[in-house]
Amino acid sequence: MFAAVDTKHQDLLIQNLENILNKIKQNKTPLINESFQQFLNTKNGYLVSSLVSEFLEFFSLGFTLAVFQPGTGTQVHGPDRGNLAQDLGIVENENTRDGPLLLEVMKRCQNSNSREDGSSDSSLPVLHNLVTELPLLEAKTSLSNEAILRYSRQLVLPELGVKGQLNLSKSSVLIVGCGGLGCPLAQYLAAAGIGRLGLLDYDVVEINNLHRQVLHGENRQGIPKSLSAATALKQLNSGVEYICYNLILTPKIALELIQQYDIIADCSDNVPTRYLVNDACVLTGKPLVSASALRMEGQLTVYNYHGSPCYRCLFPVPPPAETVTNCSDGGVLGVVPGIMGCLQALEVLKIASGLGTSFGQFMLMFDALEGRFRNIRLRPKNQNCAVCGANPTIRVLQDYEAFCGSSASDKCRTLHLLSKEERISAQEYKKILDEQVPHLLVDVRPPVEVDICHLPHSIYITLDKLERKNLDCLNHLNRKLLEGKQITDEEMSFPVYVICKLGNDSQKAVKILQELSGKELGVLLAKDITGGLMAWSNKVDPTFPQY
Amino acid sequence: MSCEVLVLYFAKSAELADVRSEHISVAQRTTSEQLWEEIVSRHPRLAALRNHVLLAVRQEYIAIGDQLLLLQPGDEVAIIPPISGG
Ligand SMILES: [Zn+2]
Repeated sequence: MFAAVDTKHQDLLIQNLENILNKIKQNKTPLINESFQQFLNTKNGYLVSSLVSEFLEFFSLGFTLAVFQPGTGTQVHGPDRGNLAQDLGIVENENTRDGPLLLEVMKRCQNSNSREDGSSDSSLPVLHNLVTELPLLEAKTSLSNEAILRYSRQLVLPELGVKGQLNLSKSSVLIVGCGGLGCPLAQYLAAAGIGRLGLLDYDVVEINNLHRQVLHGENRQGIPKSLSAATALKQLNSGVEYICYNLILTPKIALELIQQYDIIADCSDNVPTRYLVNDACVLTGKPLVSASALRMEGQLTVYNYHGSPCYRCLFPVPPPAETVTNCSDGGVLGVVPGIMGCLQALEVLKIASGLGTSFGQFMLMFDALEGRFRNIRLRPKNQNCAVCGANPTIRVLQDYEAFCGSSASDKCRTLHLLSKEERISAQEYKKILDEQVPHLLVDVRPPVEVDICHLPHSIYITLDKLERKNLDCLNHLNRKLLEGKQITDEEMSFPVYVICKLGNDSQKAVKILQELSGKELGVLLAKDITGGLMAWSNKVDPTFPQY
Repeated sequence: MSCEVLVLYFAKSAELADVRSEHISVAQRTTSEQLWEEIVSRHPRLAALRNHVLLAVRQEYIAIGDQLLLLQPGDEVAIIPPISGG
């Protein structure tokens, strides 16, 4: 059936092409089309022709591009779709990939038309992949009727008033990190009518962000967080200017970026970025409203504002990387960063409106478990501070990842403590199970993670207890070893496989077991499972949950 | 003269000390260094955090060093490591 229709269409196509060929043969106009060539040599011309060729290639009609060849003198070859989308500022997602890019361009035209009609603005904000110089924010001298109505409930506050509102409208705030803190912070700043919001994040929206990063949504998974946040914020208040930066804050760009904003809000999730933002704020003289949250605790301080200390005044030396817990390891209850982000918004609004802050020389500590706030009075500025002291040694930005011994992200680092021979893959372990080779499987994760998922035949000894050589645990392990050896009835080193979530802690545990073997413990041969339970889920059992 | 104070452990220090708060007996007249050492002697794993925590007495920052403290019964001592999550 299809074949018959296809043949018929093919005949028709050939007939058409022959007609065209005849016309070309009779054609008297020159084949070299100068205006076409000139057009193609412009940037926009190049983009248009790229869109056309992408359109044809999308529907497997790329061969028809041959007709352009004589006209251009060369073959029309656009950039690949990824580059083209980037050039046009189109962020691809499941929906855009269903059609040619030309369709996205058309959708934008429709959106901007409907905006002129006065209907809601659903166009995407522009995404910046580099730092550009922004025009100065216009200082308004009076509020429009629309603004008066919109902000009326805060305008009538004597503490804010018209003057405060105008101050907000001419303030720009850079939010470093559009996560659990950045989302509520940005939301309240936008709602209150801040003039310009810079939204910086290097990451894309993932499903496990949504419990705390409340500006994003299920339908924006895979989209840069800065863009996702701006999309939501635009619906809340289209009068605010949103600048999305889809990039990692590096020492190279930090000063250029930060000096363009009035107030900086640190909502980042890692230690190197906190030192970088601090130093950049000191060097550019910007107030730094800094908040953080982990597990059931939050902290908030305003650094470098009217003589208040900086982050380095309090913490001159970064903590050893192994003592730092991040949200993916330590967990966090979503509302805790939510509360801290709201408090951060409050302090930003107080500074921007002219009220000043309450946390210049105080750290607010939030204990979510006890439901208690504490205000810790801080030291004054440290005269010996390396960056803000009387004789600073830091005059340019440093290498903060080297300084802190960790990377500028909260993603788990992969440890390499063991040799290849001391590790097995998840698939190899599956084989050991299938062949019923006698062994022990030790799961070293904390009980709360074991409750989420575990392999049924494991025994549980947390890394923490192993590190402390907890006697009960060692006895338990020894009993299991003896049981095992009775089955094998051999004098050999009994195989012990260690597993954790990702294969970092399991390496540490193997090191400890190796030390204990033949001493506190019976003779054993310890190996770990590379990639841990997440590798088990990815490579062996897709029904095993990921977390 | 010794007196009983309440020590609060936050963030990583609570994890390392394996306790969130406890009453301890310390000399009423002491230096902040001695106070810190007294706490570390109870929880040796806290030693790794020296230089990386805020020590606060009665909700006020105290540099760990030879600063003299006059403690009162019931005073609140807080060990506060910075947290960096977001
Ligand atoms: Zn300083």
